[in-house]
Amino acid sequence: MAAAERSGAAALTKIGLLSLCGWLMVEWVAPARAQEHSGHGQPMPGGFNVAELKPGVFLHAGQQVALTAPGHDDIANIGFIVGEHCVAVIDTGGSVTIGRALRAAIEKRTRLPICYIINTHVHVDHVLGNAAFKQDHPSFVGSAQLVAAIARSTDFFLAQYGGDLDAPPTADQIISPDQGVERELTLDLGHRRLILESWPIAHTDCDLTVYDQRTGTLWTGDLLFRERLPAVDGSVKGWLSVIDELEHRQVALIIPGHGTIAHDLATALKPERRYLRGLIDGVRQEIKGGQSMQHALEHVANQESPHWLLWDSVHQRNVARVYQELEWE
Amino acid sequence: MAQALALGMAVTLALPGSAVAIEESQQPSSSAWEILRAKYYGDRSMGLVDDRYMSLQVPANTPDAAATPLTLRFADDEQRRIKQVRVFIDNNPSPLVATLDFAHATSANAPPVTEIDLRVRIDRFTSVRAVAETTDGALEMRSSWVKASGGCSAPPTAAGAGVLGEIRLRPSPDARSIQISIRHPNSSGFQIDPQSGDNIPAHYISHLRVTAGGHAVLDAETGISLSENPTLRIATDQPLPAPVTIDALDSETQVHFTATWQAGSLKQATAARIDAAGNGSR
Repeated sequence: MAAAERSGAAALTKIGLLSLCGWLMVEWVAPARAQEHSGHGQPMPGGFNVAELKPGVFLHAGQQVALTAPGHDDIANIGFIVGEHCVAVIDTGGSVTIGRALRAAIEKRTRLPICYIINTHVHVDHVLGNAAFKQDHPSFVGSAQLVAAIARSTDFFLAQYGGDLDAPPTADQIISPDQGVERELTLDLGHRRLILESWPIAHTDCDLTVYDQRTGTLWTGDLLFRERLPAVDGSVKGWLSVIDELEHRQVALIIPGHGTIAHDLATALKPERRYLRGLIDGVRQEIKGGQSMQHALEHVANQESPHWLLWDSVHQRNVARVYQELEWE
Repeated sequence: MAQALALGMAVTLALPGSAVAIEESQQPSSSAWEILRAKYYGDRSMGLVDDRYMSLQVPANTPDAAATPLTLRFADDEQRRIKQVRVFIDNNPSPLVATLDFAHATSANAPPVTEIDLRVRIDRFTSVRAVAETTDGALEMRSSWVKASGGCSAPPTAAGAGVLGEIRLRPSPDARSIQISIRHPNSSGFQIDPQSGDNIPAHYISHLRVTAGGHAVLDAETGISLSENPTLRIATDQPLPAPVTIDALDSETQVHFTATWQAGSLKQATAARIDAAGNGSR
């Protein structure tokens, strides 16, 4: 029978869809309310807002909508930092169109060249705009693990998000870092240093933060979700360890991967920590009581639901991932 | 709004306990299923049981296509008539997920299985089916529709590390259920190695045998539609007699991975003995 199954499998090889990249696949939920943009940005053509939060620190705030909703390519917080010699971009949005809008916003504010494109992790809403900056010949920078993460996600991006690239969607539009950060890397934009830190497995296995020394601004990438439900695509225990380390830092301004800006890390991380802790405690209790994953999906951490946007599907996905992580404790 | 509606409908379809016995022709069919049905059951007639006899629960909108929980319950089969259940995923590259043979149908000493939980890969939108064969040769089917994609080609997860063949046995406090977890890539043959760009060859657990108190409980032929780190949870209506043993066969090396749980010895269960020596055929 096994042999028959194998030959059947060979005959149907073409059926296989391409690779699944974590939570992106399953965030199929209705649009929640759009986030109100804060800040004092000027509207760009096509409604692309950019706010200068601190001197030389520019943010385009993403919308709190699902990945299947209109505007799904514009859900992440992305932006740029202007030094005296050049500009560093931090995440490029979920489409080449968003990447171009960001590039246009930069051109409007400075004539300095774009020397670095920094990606905080592998998810589409942060990297698919990279191709818009190819013409600037920047150095693409990310976690040392980001290269492998992009390699295993490329087919999935082309199959599921090809419409967010220039037609026809091609693999060369999905750009991997040429500089990988093992632990820490300092980039100099001209009298302005950015400290890039690569973190152990947490939200993903390739998380990176960016700290602008001049203004004390920390870009957390998706290590910090505010308002929008955090998605566990790496390790829930690893994520809590990273939170433990991050929360003691004193910074002047925090730009999360999703949600509104903040000023105190310990306070800003609190809801996320409470949710992740609730996942761990709930799933451990299910496993200890001999309950199935199915049971856990329905019963873990539901008390958190009123506190978050885009709860449906993402939460159950998180429970499934955490269950698989903790059953080997 | 349209998405919310679609999601709501899908969830409704999966609600357990709401189904009634309906004709097979009213169940969603597919060309894939026509082929499978002919292959495994020829033109034998197939009834559709009600939920109390056998239920199949799968999330309609799976939270994880590569590890979708699937639950079969046989709460009211008091006569222990179900001797075999096959689980199918119509649109998977390898649709036959598992063939489960229950010892309780032929042995009065075997603890009756009242629930089975598996974790499966789902490649694209599909019907998931369970077909039960009873001791008198009758066939009964339940099916459920699942929205998912990419489960067979999803890259291996970070949780996939560890010692190949390590087994965890986790009984519930009342010993009426036991969760078996096996460290194994259970590679589908459809995953890509990100470094080389080559296909990772299929490598999976091909057979599982569970015994309790010296009596066979379940034999399962399994394949690549089981998730990475395959899990099997068995529940009965009485405490499982110790020792509970598991024997899992590796498809490529023919090595048997085994573990044993002794009553009252949870510690031993969580650090189950591993015997990775090829100890002959089962």
